[in-house]
Amino acid sequence: MIVKVSDNMISPLGMSTAENYAAVKAGRSELKRHDGLWNLPEPFTASLMHREAINEMATQYHLDEAYTFFEKMIILSAAKALEPTDIDPSSEKVLFILSTTKGNVFLLDKHETGFPQERVRLGMAAKQMTDYFHNPNTPIVVSNACISGVCAQIQAMRELESGHFDYVVTVGADVQSVFIVSGFQSFKALSVEPCKPFDANRCGLNLGDAAATIIYTRKDQVEDTDWVAIRGVIRNDANHISGPSRTGEGSYRALRAVLGDMSPDKIAFINTHGTATLYNDEMESVAIERAGLSNIPVNGLKGYYGHTMGAAGILETILSMQAVDDHTILATKGFETLGVTHPLVLSNQNQKTDKRAFIKLLSGFGGCNAALLMAKGGEL
Amino acid sequence: MDELIYTLKQQIIEALNLEDMTPEDIDENAALFGEGLGLDSIDALELIVLMEKNYGIKLQDPNQGKEIFKSVAVMADFISKNRTK
Amino acid sequence: MMQHTVHITPESVVVDGKVLNHQEKGAALLTELYRKHIGDYPKFFKMDTLCRLGFVASELLLQVEGAERFVPREDRAVVFFNRNASLQADTTYQATIQDPENFYPSPAAFVYTLPNIVTGEIAIRNKYYGETLFLVIENNDPDIISRQLENTFQDPQTQSILGGWLDCTDENHFEAQIFLIFKS
Repeated sequence: MIVKVSDNMISPLGMSTAENYAAVKAGRSELKRHDGLWNLPEPFTASLMHREAINEMATQYHLDEAYTFFEKMIILSAAKALEPTDIDPSSEKVLFILSTTKGNVFLLDKHETGFPQERVRLGMAAKQMTDYFHNPNTPIVVSNACISGVCAQIQAMRELESGHFDYVVTVGADVQSVFIVSGFQSFKALSVEPCKPFDANRCGLNLGDAAATIIYTRKDQVEDTDWVAIRGVIRNDANHISGPSRTGEGSYRALRAVLGDMSPDKIAFINTHGTATLYNDEMESVAIERAGLSNIPVNGLKGYYGHTMGAAGILETILSMQAVDDHTILATKGFETLGVTHPLVLSNQNQKTDKRAFIKLLSGFGGCNAALLMAKGGEL
Repeated sequence: MDELIYTLKQQIIEALNLEDMTPEDIDENAALFGEGLGLDSIDALELIVLMEKNYGIKLQDPNQGKEIFKSVAVMADFISKNRTK
Repeated sequence: MMQHTVHITPESVVVDGKVLNHQEKGAALLTELYRKHIGDYPKFFKMDTLCRLGFVASELLLQVEGAERFVPREDRAVVFFNRNASLQADTTYQATIQDPENFYPSPAAFVYTLPNIVTGEIAIRNKYYGETLFLVIENNDPDIISRQLENTFQDPQTQSILGGWLDCTDENHFEAQIFLIFKS
C-alpha cells in the first residue's frame, strides 16, 4: 500500500505544515488586494509570498541568485519534507515528481534577462531540483492544469506500485506573475474581494503562491496511524476546454470510481476544488449530488490561500490529512449562504469529526477532473 | 454606419479566427451567439477585448456583453454611440 | 501492445509506416491535413499549434484504427509527453501583454497556455470521458514514456491509451510521434 512518509508546505501562512495548519484552523489568510502591483492596470486579490523571507531562508540552503524564486520554493519545500526522514535523495530508488502549471513563465518577459531562456522549460526547472539533491533520475513534471497536484500523487502511487522506486518526492508549486494574473483577468474570472466558495454572492477566484511536498513510499504492512493513498482517478468532461461541464460529467465519474468499495459512511469530508467561480462550484455540487454523496460534509480551502494551481492538489491534501488527525473538518472560509443548486453540507466554522478518510476533488482547464481517496491505515 | 459594420465584421473574423468566413458571409442581423455564428464564452470575452482595443470602450460588467453582442448591427450601433477611438 | 502509429514533422507525415502525400510544410501542412482528412471542425482554426498538431495526428490515428467514431467511452486514456509544454501558445499570449502601451491580454490566446488543453480538445471531439494527462520531460525517452504508459494501465477502467510525444516550439517547428496502445 502507498503510505505518506513526510510532508511540507511553504506558503504566506508559514514555512511548515504545522504552521500552516494552525493558521488555517485559526481562520487566518494572507489574501490581500494589490493595486498596481507589477504595473497591472486592474487590481487583484492574492495570497503572495514575502519574497525577502524566502530568499533569506534560501541562502541557508545554499540557494543563491543562480536559482529563480520558483526553483527556491520547490527545493526548499522538498528539502524540508526530507529533513525528518532518513531518505537519501541521491539514491536511484528515489524519484522526484513536480506538479506545476507555469513554472518559470516569468522568463518569457523580454525584460527578464537574469536566467538562460531554457529555464522556461518545466523539465529544466525540475532539473535544478534533482541536481541540487544529486538525484540521478529524470524528474517527471505533471502539467495537467489545476489538477496537477492530485495527478502527481497518482503518478507517485503508480510508480511505487510498479516497484520501480522506493520513495517518490512529490512537489507541487506555482508562483504568481503578470502572465498568470492578466490571463485570469482577461477571463473575468477573478474576484477583487476575498473569494467566497459556494456562496450565493461568489464572483470569482483569488490566486496564490505556494509550494507543497508529500513523500510517499510503499509498505506491505500498514500501521493504524499511517496515511494511506488508496486510489486516485482522473476523468474528462469531454465538453469544453475552459468551462466546466454543466452535468459535472468528469467530476462525477472521478468521484464514482474513486470510492471503490469503501463505504461513504467512512468519509469525513470531501475537500472540493471550490474556486468560487459561478460555474465551478455549481458544477461540483451537481457532481457530488449525482454521485450520491450530498450527505457527506464538504469544504473548500481556497478562502485561505487562493488558488495555488500546481500546488493546490498537494497543499489541500496535506491540510485535509492534518484536519482528520485533529478530528476536524476545516471551515470553508468565505462561505456564508449556499449559492448552488444542490444542497451541500458546508460550514464556515470548524466542525468535529471522528471519521478517518477523506476525498480530495479537483477540476482544471482542459475539462479534466481528479479525485483522490486517502484514509488512515486503521480504516482498512 | 455601413462602413463600420463592414470593418467590424472583418475585425470579428480576425479576432475569433473564423478562418473560412468573409464579411459577406456574416448577416449583420443574425444572432452571434446561440444559433447564427454559434460563438462561445471565450469568443464573448475576446469581443470585449476587441471593443477596448479598437474603439476604446471598456465594459466593466461582462454581462453587458449579452445585450451588446446580440448581432453585428447591435454591436455597431453601440460602438458608434460609445466609441472613444 | 502498440497498434497504429502516426509520425508528423514539419515536412513529413507517416501513418502506420506509410508516407502520406502532401504539398505544404510547417504550419500550412497542418492546415492542409485538416482540410484534406477532416474538414468538419472549424474550431481547428482557434487552436494553437500544439492543439492543431495533436488534433490532426489523433484524427489520422483514429481514422486508421477504423473503429466506430464519436461513441462516448471512459476506457480510453489520452496521455501525451513533451519537452516544451505550451511554449508556442505562451509566446503568443506573452505578445499581448509585453508592451504596457499596448496591453490587451487575449483570453482566446490565454486558454491555450496549458499543454493539457490538447488532451481536452481530443476528449471533446471523440467523447472520451477517461483519463487525460500531460507530462513534461526533457527528452523523448522511450523508456520513461513506456514506463508511464504502463503505469496508466493501473487504472482498471483504462483499456487503451492514445498517447505519445507531441511537441512544438513555434508555428513551424513541431513533432508528433503518437500511437494507440492496448492493455495486454
